[in-house]
Amino acid sequence: MSDWLERLRAGDRATLARAITAVENETPEARAVLKAIFPHLGKALVVGITGPPGAGKSTLINAYIETLRARGQTVGVVAVDPSSPITGGAILGDRIRMGGHSGDPGVFVRSLASRGHLGGLSRTAAHVIDVMDASGRDVVIVETVGAGQSEVEVAEIAPTKVVVAAPGLGDDIQAIKAGILEIADIFVVNKADLPLADRTAGQLLDMLRLKDHGEWRIPVLKTVALKNEGIEALADAIAQHAKLAETSRPAPRARAAKLIAAQAADLARRSIQALEEKVIDDYCDQVLSGALELEEAAQRALAKAIARS
Amino acid sequence: MTTDLRPPKVLMTKIGLDGHDRGGRVVATYLRDAGMEVVFTGPWKSIPEVIATAQEEDVDVIGISSLASDHLLVPKLMAALRENGLDHVGVVVGGIVPDRDERDLLAVGVARVFHPGASLDEIVPFVDRLAKNVRQRRQGL
Amino acid sequence: MSKTVSANSDRAEWQREFDAQTEGQRPRTNRSGIPIKPLYGPEDWTSDRHEADLGLPGQGPMTRGIYASMYRGRPWSQRQLVGLGTAFDYNDRQRRMAGAGASALSLCPCNSVYRGYDMDEVDPLLLGTCGVVINTAEQMSTALDGIALERISIGLNDPTPFTLFAFVLAHAKKTGTPWDQISGTSNQSDYLSHFVANHMFLRLSLEGSRRVLVDHIDWCAKHAPKWNALSVVGQHMQQAGATPAQAMGFTLASGIQYAEDCRARGLDLAAVLPRFTFFFDISISVFEEIAKFRAGRRLWAKIVRERLGINDPRAARFKFHAQTSGVDLTRQQPLNNIVRVAVQAMAGVLGGLQSMHTDAYDEVLSSPVEEAARIAVATQNILREEAHLDEVVDPLGGSYYVEALTNQMEAEIEKTLAQVDRAGGMFEAVKGGLVQRLCGESALAWQAEVESGRQKVVGVNGWQIDEPPDVRKPQERPDPATIDRYLKEFAAFKAARAPATIAKALDELSRAAEDDRINLFGKVVEAAMIGCTHGEITGRLRRDLGFGNPLVMA
Repeated sequence: MSDWLERLRAGDRATLARAITAVENETPEARAVLKAIFPHLGKALVVGITGPPGAGKSTLINAYIETLRARGQTVGVVAVDPSSPITGGAILGDRIRMGGHSGDPGVFVRSLASRGHLGGLSRTAAHVIDVMDASGRDVVIVETVGAGQSEVEVAEIAPTKVVVAAPGLGDDIQAIKAGILEIADIFVVNKADLPLADRTAGQLLDMLRLKDHGEWRIPVLKTVALKNEGIEALADAIAQHAKLAETSRPAPRARAAKLIAAQAADLARRSIQALEEKVIDDYCDQVLSGALELEEAAQRALAKAIARS
Repeated sequence: MTTDLRPPKVLMTKIGLDGHDRGGRVVATYLRDAGMEVVFTGPWKSIPEVIATAQEEDVDVIGISSLASDHLLVPKLMAALRENGLDHVGVVVGGIVPDRDERDLLAVGVARVFHPGASLDEIVPFVDRLAKNVRQRRQGL
Repeated sequence: MSKTVSANSDRAEWQREFDAQTEGQRPRTNRSGIPIKPLYGPEDWTSDRHEADLGLPGQGPMTRGIYASMYRGRPWSQRQLVGLGTAFDYNDRQRRMAGAGASALSLCPCNSVYRGYDMDEVDPLLLGTCGVVINTAEQMSTALDGIALERISIGLNDPTPFTLFAFVLAHAKKTGTPWDQISGTSNQSDYLSHFVANHMFLRLSLEGSRRVLVDHIDWCAKHAPKWNALSVVGQHMQQAGATPAQAMGFTLASGIQYAEDCRARGLDLAAVLPRFTFFFDISISVFEEIAKFRAGRRLWAKIVRERLGINDPRAARFKFHAQTSGVDLTRQQPLNNIVRVAVQAMAGVLGGLQSMHTDAYDEVLSSPVEEAARIAVATQNILREEAHLDEVVDPLGGSYYVEALTNQMEAEIEKTLAQVDRAGGMFEAVKGGLVQRLCGESALAWQAEVESGRQKVVGVNGWQIDEPPDVRKPQERPDPATIDRYLKEFAAFKAARAPATIAKALDELSRAAEDDRINLFGKVVEAAMIGCTHGEITGRLRRDLGFGNPLVMA
């Protein structure tokens, strides 16, 4: 056991790949892997990058990776792609490797299909991030496409969240408003050399005015990823925010808290499902006759279920 | 040794110089529709790039689509897989491959060569079986 | 009206008999999704529409052909792409073919050249295995040695930034042939089609290619007026899965895009449009292909007149080359492919093409062996000399079916044009991935037809036999010793140049890339004449103008 852990912590790529497979596929080794790596977490800066298709996210991420590499940092990328809701299969688009980092041992890219994870996509993604963190990656980037519920949940795992938009995508601003405005720590208007860039940035600033600011003032950065413009400033802003987030709550602790909550919910659901029908029927009778409040019934059922399991 | 619940994982790629990708795309789509996860790359991957991707993604099978003479590079790929401890990965080649070259490819460990006109009813179950065999053979951590 | 009793037709009776004889059959549609009726008649087309739909060849709607005399005046030209190995091998073969009376030559370079590399930048195993390796003006001189440039038409498979053409021009300068005497075509100049479907030819970013192509058209109009600077290619998209109607629609949309790009640059469309050429795939869906070509020809004439506002029949001529489709050929029972190619070629000729490449029957097995290449050429000769397909202009004109189908294909093509227009024109539609998506969907739909057995393919999903392995003597691969020698000569050539001169020429390219007022192709020609290599020129422009990774869509 300690053998692989040493190899993992030394950054061995093959071991990293297999450890990810273990936690991703929930093999019997997965629990041992997680238990062993938890004491070694917390070194990596974890950043979530999301936004609508067509905003140039992949190009932006590639430029960001280049900047990190130039600063001497190693990078892990978790790229999430949608699975077919019908067959569960997926085409993993391999967008990040198109940027030419393939073959650089300082960059490790792993695709993750969005469906079929027992504990939910965000839990699996959190585990994969942890393994990359334990392997000594300086920065772990989580990329999701689109702004659906599960993408937002995945992005939320990262203490620092970047939302990318492109100029003139009016509908996308709406999507951002609806879905991911709340989670953004940094906004990027990519393709800022296009007309309407200033207008899009202005719209975002307007929306942010309505938002409560804590210690962190959410910046709206302009980049032209294709020409490598504005990327240094983005990297700096990410580092700054990560530092601030770290002081308020260390990332592994935050991640562990979320995982415990998620696992607990999962456990509760499974315990309830394991109760005999008759027990639930009893509670139903009491609720329908007005003898018992709904919440009261739920609490009792849960207590019974946990006592039995 | 492991009971994987996840679907087979396949890397569909092109090495060498050619850029025709219709065949690879159609096959990738059918593998997805059969429930597999397919890492689909652009063309012109170098052998070190294919090795790096196969390793990072921990795939069970590599599918090489070849139209021109790019299949001539496959023996080099097979050697590189061995050198990088990836000999458990199954390799299939699809495209225009003359008979004499097919014999050479099978001799260096390619699991199967699919020719133009091969039915997806043949390709999909073959890849599925190959992936499952690979899963059984491979080592854990 | 005939008065004999037997001539009275009873439509209801025919329908009853037809239904009884075809009970349980499914309705038919062609590859473009158009329903095909069992019988066409005056309810589908009448000769009242003759003037509006057809007119005369070389005039008006242009449906029947682009020249008054068509093949009586100029037989279609036979262009077979050839070339393996080195410039020396190519020259040998061309001299043999010129000796046999060929008046046109084609040059198909090695894939390493397509990808924009010199021979010392790729794995030597692949060199010369599917085309000729030419990286310098010197090597082009070797390849064309002894060939009278002013008397031969040259087809170059030469994507942006057109280095091979620059090498031809350098060779012409050296041997004293004036540039305005050089005729031929820059095949593979249509970078949009490469971004969509044939990524092998992609060398520069979309924006960079756009700039270089217009510079090339401009430069040729001024310095090499007999050269067709543009060939708009529908073939790649049909090969990638587009239906015949979609492929025609995308090609016309590209033609519009290129014309508008020229106009935006201030070029005189009346002067450049006559040098636009097109290139298509011919599938085995015979009548659909014939209708595709007739409808495309009519639409282009209309586009030139109405949309581009040019009222000159020369500009409205839809000159096209076509190649029989390799997608229809099968590995199983390969000799059957000879028949397929003959049928495809007939469709192309009946559709009114100007120039044709017929595939060798063994192209799905390997690079063609010599006998297969000879049969491909013989197929064209048989169609012309024995079947006399060249005698009558548009022989199917006026057929109820062909005219109705031409009109329906035209409507279908216009739907694709409208889709592209809504996306903001072909450049935007390609950049955003619309065209790639539509091609991919059609490819899957076709595959489903074959997999289900609804589309029968002889030897593949019907009439299979146990076949012996392929025992033909395989096409020779280039001898490794020859390739090795070629590489050494190339290294010596490079070492003998003055580094400062080369650096200066490449810097001039960079300067032009920065400055829109300088004609970039003119600088490519200068660099070629000074001794810069293909890889150096292409590499520098790829650095300065960017390389467009294709959108990978599954």
